[in-house]
Amino acid sequence: MTSSNGKPFGSVKNLLKRAEKILKERKKLKQEIRVCAGPGCIALGAKDIHKELCKQLDDHKKELEAAGLELNVTLSEKCTGCHGMCEAGPIVTIEPEGTFYTGVKPRDTKKIVEKTLLKDQLVDPLLYQLGHHRGGGKVKHYADIPFYSLQLRVALRKVGVVDPTNFDDFLAEGGFQAFAKAIAEMTPEDVIDQVEKSGLRGRGGAGFSTGRKWRSALRVKEDRVWLICNGDEGDPGAFMDRAIMEGDPYSVLEGMMIGAYALGATDAWIYVRHEYPLAVEHLQMAIDKLTNAGLLGENILGTGMTLNVRISRGGGAFVCGESSALMRSLEGKVGEPRAKYVRSVEKGLHDEPTVLNNVETFTCVPAIIDKGAEWFASMGREKSKGTKAFSLVGKVKHTGLIEVPMGRTLREIIFDIGGGIIDDRPFKAVQTGGPSGGCLPAGKLNLQVDFDTLADAGAMMGSGGMIVMDDHTCMVDVAKYFINFLIGESCGKCVPCREGLYQLYDLLNKITNGEGKPGDLETIETLCHTMEVASLCALGKSAPYPVTSTIKYFREEYEEHINDGVCRAGVCPKLIVYHINDDCNGCEVCRKHCPTNAITGEKKKLHVIDPDLCISCGICKSVCKFDTIDIMSGGKIVSRDVVA
Amino acid sequence: MSKTKTSKTVHLTIDGQNVEAPKGAMILDVTPGLGVEIPSLCAHPGLEPFGACRLCVVEIQKPGWDDWYKQLVTSCLFQVEEGLKVWTNSDEVRQNRKVVLDLLMARVPASDVIRDLGNQYGVTKTSYAEVDTEDTCIMCDICVRACHAIGRDAIASMSRGPDKYVDVPDKDACIGCLVCANLCPTNAIPFTANDNGKRRIWGKEFDLVTDERSGEVLGTTEYIEHVRKRAEDKGLLCPEDMKHESARVKRYGYAQKLSHVADVEEPIEEVK
Amino acid sequence: MTPSKKAGVGSPRSGAKTSKTKKKNGAGKNASKVILAATDEILAHYPLEEASLIMVLQELNDQLNWLPPKALERVAKKLNVPFGKVQGVATFYRAFSLKPKGKKTVKVCTGTACHVRGASMLVDELKRSLEVEPGEGISEDGNFSLETVNCVGACAMAPVAMIGDHYYASMTPGNIAKMLKKEKPE
Ligand SMILES: Cc1cc2nc3c(=O)[nH]c(=O)nc-3n(C[C@H](O)[C@H](O)[C@H](O)COP(=O)(O)O)c2cc1C
Ligand code: SF4
Ligand code: SF4
Ligand code: FES
Ligand code: FES
Repeated sequence: MTSSNGKPFGSVKNLLKRAEKILKERKKLKQEIRVCAGPGCIALGAKDIHKELCKQLDDHKKELEAAGLELNVTLSEKCTGCHGMCEAGPIVTIEPEGTFYTGVKPRDTKKIVEKTLLKDQLVDPLLYQLGHHRGGGKVKHYADIPFYSLQLRVALRKVGVVDPTNFDDFLAEGGFQAFAKAIAEMTPEDVIDQVEKSGLRGRGGAGFSTGRKWRSALRVKEDRVWLICNGDEGDPGAFMDRAIMEGDPYSVLEGMMIGAYALGATDAWIYVRHEYPLAVEHLQMAIDKLTNAGLLGENILGTGMTLNVRISRGGGAFVCGESSALMRSLEGKVGEPRAKYVRSVEKGLHDEPTVLNNVETFTCVPAIIDKGAEWFASMGREKSKGTKAFSLVGKVKHTGLIEVPMGRTLREIIFDIGGGIIDDRPFKAVQTGGPSGGCLPAGKLNLQVDFDTLADAGAMMGSGGMIVMDDHTCMVDVAKYFINFLIGESCGKCVPCREGLYQLYDLLNKITNGEGKPGDLETIETLCHTMEVASLCALGKSAPYPVTSTIKYFREEYEEHINDGVCRAGVCPKLIVYHINDDCNGCEVCRKHCPTNAITGEKKKLHVIDPDLCISCGICKSVCKFDTIDIMSGGKIVSRDVVA
Repeated sequence: MSKTKTSKTVHLTIDGQNVEAPKGAMILDVTPGLGVEIPSLCAHPGLEPFGACRLCVVEIQKPGWDDWYKQLVTSCLFQVEEGLKVWTNSDEVRQNRKVVLDLLMARVPASDVIRDLGNQYGVTKTSYAEVDTEDTCIMCDICVRACHAIGRDAIASMSRGPDKYVDVPDKDACIGCLVCANLCPTNAIPFTANDNGKRRIWGKEFDLVTDERSGEVLGTTEYIEHVRKRAEDKGLLCPEDMKHESARVKRYGYAQKLSHVADVEEPIEEVK
Repeated sequence: MTPSKKAGVGSPRSGAKTSKTKKKNGAGKNASKVILAATDEILAHYPLEEASLIMVLQELNDQLNWLPPKALERVAKKLNVPFGKVQGVATFYRAFSLKPKGKKTVKVCTGTACHVRGASMLVDELKRSLEVEPGEGISEDGNFSLETVNCVGACAMAPVAMIGDHYYASMTPGNIAKMLKKEKPE
């Protein structure tokens, strides 16, 4: 904890010395146990596991020492950020062997200590099991799991590796080498050159060249330049930025510090989404630590550089991820976007020059400075360099956080890394780019993922949400879902977005309720066009994409809803009926649970659902242990599992 | 960019006409007198451009762009540039205005202003689901900006998205000047200007002050107090001025006065 | 969920919706003293300027669980921001509640991953069993409010519901009753 004996470092040399010393100490470390404390694992009880693990280590202190493992000195435990494979959580890894335990329960910690640490044996039931198509064997080390072996981690390089609350840990993993290099050996111009040469494009959505953005801000010479890190991450179904802020806050700050050095910025904000309290906590801890260590504040490392970083919690508005709305929000105002004729590099926050970048963008910067622009540019594709983090979720086997070089195909991401579709159902679509993105069908699985190919196909890179859908997902319902989300998030300033979304929802809702009319699709397309070209900000301009892309690739599904009143995925409540088939053994469970008493039947006799009373709530299907309840639409069985 | 840096005017074409315009002006601002008509609902010469109604869209092309490529922009928020070409009435422009008006007709079916505009663009009946309301507010924010300009900030927009509405949550802040109601493009703010010496707006009742000699209504007590105080604070308005201005609490006559009063606090861009 | 009450624009004209001079929200004299004390305490930590507004409201909302009109008035006065603007900000951002909440709030994730795994069925079932709308109202016994949130970062366990710090993973409409029973405050 006492990284600098409480005293500020005072110079670059001192910082590097300190890092060297920690590294030397770390060499003594024989083993390290890492408990994943990402949001997924915490939801599954990671905190209790850590508590129990500490207790077990304490209980076995003597034996461990006898085995040459002294607590804290040669054996340590820590909580890290998200390992990525959330679906297999809670996850515990042991270094340096790379032992990978999944689905760990508090009581398993005893076995881990007694078997793995003391006897060097693996705890078999906790090992990760490969899918059937890969032989179904057990994997000992995470390096051998396809989920990891196919990834390349740049932005996520330290997430899941370091203890986000420990500065020394960060130094030991090579932290602040890049900042030291920049401030001691490079001019601001050099830094911008490197960032520009690396080909880094903003990871927040639009994909604007970061180097160019910085250079244009450099031209506007004013007294004060604001630097803003956009951690609003409003895409519902994406959590990359969250994982970085929670799991590796120092890298975000290091990236911002390098940016501030290059731009001469003295004041910076990190705008963190309202729902991310842990990210705020970890970032604040890091800022306090850096301020005490003389790495933030005035006269940083004795170089005369000044940088103050503050955190602002967002107010809970997706539109505040948009840069001009975000700045209004930081000013204490309503988050309405501003027309683009004022450029924020000239007049941004408080009408002063402002540079705004995404969390992942900033996190890439130290890696670029450290390893060089050529290294970064060697990854990815011609116009999209480097790697990109995605949250791979939905109906895919291995949900979680991944990072791959640009240019990987959707198929590689979904089937090789993600392990394919749950229950090996047919793949139907993948949605990328969140509410501003689009849905791509199976025919596009060979698309190489980068900024431009996705945009050309009618989807978007966006911030990196990737939602996989199977044949039990209704595409009209998905489109309606995003429009409903956006209605709640539109700021309401301009007519096409505010009224357009409302009407779009109304039209889609009618279609999913079986009240669609021929001609509705044309009305929708006309409306979408105007929203796209005439809305004020990118929220409204991109809002129709989920609709236009699904109409483009799944038009027949819309037509089925409109013309035949059929939802082939068995999702739209008004178009489906629940039906109990002959396998029913009369266990009465469904009847007791039905909220509208729509089910009748005697014990041990076939039960029957009265379609007039049924409200399609799905409770009966979710409680039936014998899977005898079908969903029908248009007279055909289209059952879908209530829980995937 | 660099070539025009020194000159104060730029040259552009609007619907084929050559136009010279002051740098920094918005397209919409330079159209009066050219015989072209751009409809607009949320723009007002005395107020900062806002860009909410999207009715003023035009197509533009910058020098150097491919011949076929044009962009749709809002003329109230797009600055004139050297060599810019503007089309104010192309098919694409009309089509998008039509959809915007179609949407507004569904939103405020009771508004004759919107209905007339819609008719001009060939919308006689909305294609969308009509909202069941007598209200005619289109959320143009003019009243909010106007109230801010006169220094009261009584009106504010609440909530967001389709639920957005304007309101005066603090009745004490309203001085009954009627600026908001007079500027509202769709006459959405109900008021009674003078009912036996009383005025009503925003659910509040005011006493009117009358000039003893001429019998002219000067305004509400609160309004006169507000103008007096601002005049004192800034020393800009003499009592004669004040009386003169106050006497003009009349529909639409208020536009000039508004910018005049607003000048006291912050200069507002005048249109040339 | 659905923007059903769109007529918002017209009706509030009467001033009923957000009027400052509304009757007290069932809070006695003491309660209002507590509220003002809390407000002043929070205000003391911030520069008295408009830029502090959102942060002050956030802390207030964290502490009181909602933003009582009295507190908003005080904030407006102290930060020298027109009351209308304060009210505008308070109604714009999702993080703020202008109505008191139940003892516990059930949050259902309606992020995309949860949606494709059936989150809307959970919301429907909760609406039915608590007889409240998301973001509005308190269940009759005063125990629960309902809210929908977007992605709580536990997509792998979708669909997810949360009460306090506790996550309920892979929920089905069928086990909602059990969850509510378990979480019922004493
Ligand atoms: C409606 C909307 C929401 C956005 N949300 C985010 C967000 O959550 N996080 C983010 O980094 N960028 C978001 N953006 C993009 C930002 O406006 C901005 O382009 C980006 O943060 C710039 O950083 P970059 O160049 O590093 O990508 C959003 C844009 C829009 C229009
Ligand atoms: S497009 Fe939507 S979010 Fe953007 S300014 Fe218009 S109403 Fe607001
Ligand atoms: S009341 Fe009138 S001026 Fe005010 S926002 Fe509505 S339409 Fe515009
Ligand atoms: S006048 Fe330009 S958007 Fe309304
Ligand atoms: S979408 Fe529900 S946890 Fe992410």
